[in-house]
Amino acid sequence: MKTISGKLEQDIAELKKMLPAEDILTFSFVSGEKLPFTVIFADPVTDKELLGEQVIRPLLHYAGKPSAKEVGKNITAPELRSEKTFDKLSAEILAGNPVLLWEGADEGLIVGTKKVFVRAIAEPPTDVTIKGPREGFIEDIKINSSLVRRRLKNPNLRIEMMQVGKQSETYVAVCFLEGITPQETVDAVKEKLQAIQIDVVADSSYLVHFLKDRKYSLMKQVGSTEKPDIFCAKIAEGRVGILVDGSPIALTVPYLLVEDFQACEDYYVPAARATFTRLLRIFALLVAIYLPAFYIAAQLFKLQLFPIKLLQTISGSIREIPLSPSLEMLLVLLVLEVLNEASIRMPKYVGMALSVVGALVLGETAVSAGFVSTPAIIIIAFSGIGLYAVPNLIEQTSVVRLAMLLAAGSVGTYGILLLTAFLLFKLVTAESFGAPLLSPFSPVIPHDMRDSLVKYNMGSLKTRPKTLKSKNKRRMKDA
Amino acid sequence: MHKISTRQIYFFLAAIAPVGKIMLMPTQLAFFSKNDLLFPAVMNYFLQAGAVFLALLFASKNRTFYDALADTVGKAAAKIIVCLLALFFLYASILPLLEQKLYVQKTLYDTLPSPVTFFPFFLLSAYLCAKPIASLGRLWDILLPVSVVGYAGIMALSVSNADFGALMPVGISGAEGIFGGFAYSLSWFFDSALILALAGKFEYRKGMAWKGMLFYLAGGAAIVFFLAVFYGVYSDIALQQTFAFSEISKYFSGITVLGRIDYFFSFALVFVILFYGSLPLHAGVECVCNAFGDKRYLRIVLSVVVNVGLLVCVYLLNFKLYVTLQTVTKMLFWIFPVFCVLLPALCLLLKRRKHETAA
Repeated sequence: MKTISGKLEQDIAELKKMLPAEDILTFSFVSGEKLPFTVIFADPVTDKELLGEQVIRPLLHYAGKPSAKEVGKNITAPELRSEKTFDKLSAEILAGNPVLLWEGADEGLIVGTKKVFVRAIAEPPTDVTIKGPREGFIEDIKINSSLVRRRLKNPNLRIEMMQVGKQSETYVAVCFLEGITPQETVDAVKEKLQAIQIDVVADSSYLVHFLKDRKYSLMKQVGSTEKPDIFCAKIAEGRVGILVDGSPIALTVPYLLVEDFQACEDYYVPAARATFTRLLRIFALLVAIYLPAFYIAAQLFKLQLFPIKLLQTISGSIREIPLSPSLEMLLVLLVLEVLNEASIRMPKYVGMALSVVGALVLGETAVSAGFVSTPAIIIIAFSGIGLYAVPNLIEQTSVVRLAMLLAAGSVGTYGILLLTAFLLFKLVTAESFGAPLLSPFSPVIPHDMRDSLVKYNMGSLKTRPKTLKSKNKRRMKDA
Repeated sequence: MHKISTRQIYFFLAAIAPVGKIMLMPTQLAFFSKNDLLFPAVMNYFLQAGAVFLALLFASKNRTFYDALADTVGKAAAKIIVCLLALFFLYASILPLLEQKLYVQKTLYDTLPSPVTFFPFFLLSAYLCAKPIASLGRLWDILLPVSVVGYAGIMALSVSNADFGALMPVGISGAEGIFGGFAYSLSWFFDSALILALAGKFEYRKGMAWKGMLFYLAGGAAIVFFLAVFYGVYSDIALQQTFAFSEISKYFSGITVLGRIDYFFSFALVFVILFYGSLPLHAGVECVCNAFGDKRYLRIVLSVVVNVGLLVCVYLLNFKLYVTLQTVTKMLFWIFPVFCVLLPALCLLLKRRKHETAA
């Protein structure tokens, strides 16, 4: 690796050769003692005002030795480092940190005057709470780290930075609590992150694929959150958190399926209420997945599954429908998915109109035209709502629902049972960083069930989940 | 894959193994025992519980069946015996598979479906067989509540319609009925052989043999209670009521308003049976893999071959169900005690001989 020579012209030429882009600028000035200085910086990502105030102005009257140590003493910027190699200096310039060089320099000085473009910390749209903290992560890793640090004022909190992405060199922070998180989990995460060979990491979701044990599995194997309070709670339980620069979604491992049935609000309301809502979520999810499938299976293969009066109502409404029950259901499901996709991408002011068109005009007209039946629309609507009771699993559950529908349409109830058996087997054998995905239900860990589908009072959660194999078991002392 | 835990073995013995005995066995037992179900069922359960005790005692060595055999009789002989056991498992799986197929055709469809409808089961079974048998342990953790909920639901809905007076007097059919019922229902009891196949895949803990036997008897008690309710509901026509577990609760008064909610409980039991039905095949594949080196490709090839073979067998026997039932339960019933009672007992002898040699 090439290091700086101390000859200013030559060093600038070398850096310019490495960074030939037009937005890499240089600014040269001479101090009172006629010592020539040059600042090299990336124009769009450098705060030039700060650069002038904290670097150039103090050095205009510099009269000391041309050593990095002496020059550094005159710079008022709080973030200051020195480097010798051109590789590191050029990387810092691209990251928005200007590099200061001068005639006879033994090292280049890196000044932390990066221009930060950030949006305000706001409530994340994917995780809205009625009771509890409302702040969410944003796209800047430093601010996200500070949100974590503010909640965990603990010297044992480690935020280890690394860069991932050959072209993007995106900063990734591995967060964990020393003495609580098992070292083998931390090492496994770091090893997987270091092994990533990818050009660009545009979002934390890019890393998920590389963190998964089963790369092509539909099942979720990495947890995610946009809320610092949830992120910190998970770290405090003994998990490893991952922050990615440019992404408001933080990742956590090991992941347990039960996590997605727990909302942060569960910890801010009485335990009985939390238990009720968790059970409600699992009920809603089961209804979302199985209701359309069982409706089809019953209609096609086993009418006895319907109560007699409901059967009369259904038979009345499907008499004139030209499509087979499975096709009808698939069509309604497809329309729902299209409406859903369109309403997410549409501007908000068009969204309302879209809802009216979708729900009222399309639904009402399709039924009155005899194209689809009312029960099919009711069932899909119910299923669609149920799916959103556990929003973090939508990607998986919507696929499973479709598969169930196909199984029910082709083989009936037996198909549903077989597919469920297959999925269950996949789930019980899946692990995320050594933790069984279905823990604490399979394998049964009675201790961990206190905060699973049933939520005990805070006073009963004195120890950390056994599944996570935390080094420090106790998190609360006896009152 | 981690080893099966002691708890998971107990779960299997108490809640998964019994479920395999509620499909056709109650009807067959009623037929062969001339409606005197209690004694044959209890005798069978006690005999099998004893065999489970012996098999668990053998498992205390924490070695696979093949390893234990190979140490004593040599590798070649051990391979032959293990292959025979694997063949027995294939034979033992015919009855649960045919039961399941018949159940699917009779109960899950309004009209008789094509035999092809049942075939996706073999996809699941082949997939399961291609995985190490120890991976089933975690599955049993989940299947326990499913089994308990299914059983409790069906019992809760049907017990009020049972006339328990119809059960008396017990033992009226005499020795012929009792021993006939006992012998001809032996084909449903092969759980001790499954424990032999699982040996070495779980850590034996002190007292496990006793506890395992008690758990098995607890499951047996649930089945005996089911038989009592079954006969209490159907009385003399019990011998005609196939797959009673999914029909027994339809007389519950709330069904007319709510629809066949009892089906959801029977679906829960069928869900458990799906796994129980593939277990003998899985055990067979596992035994052969233990004997011939646990290579991934061997396991995959074996699981495909075994399942395709059984698929063809089930297809060929599609219209010969009655003959098959007669053959398995009445003519060749003696095969089951040989592999499920005698073999666990002999395994203990082998173990003792090895111990003496070592000493």
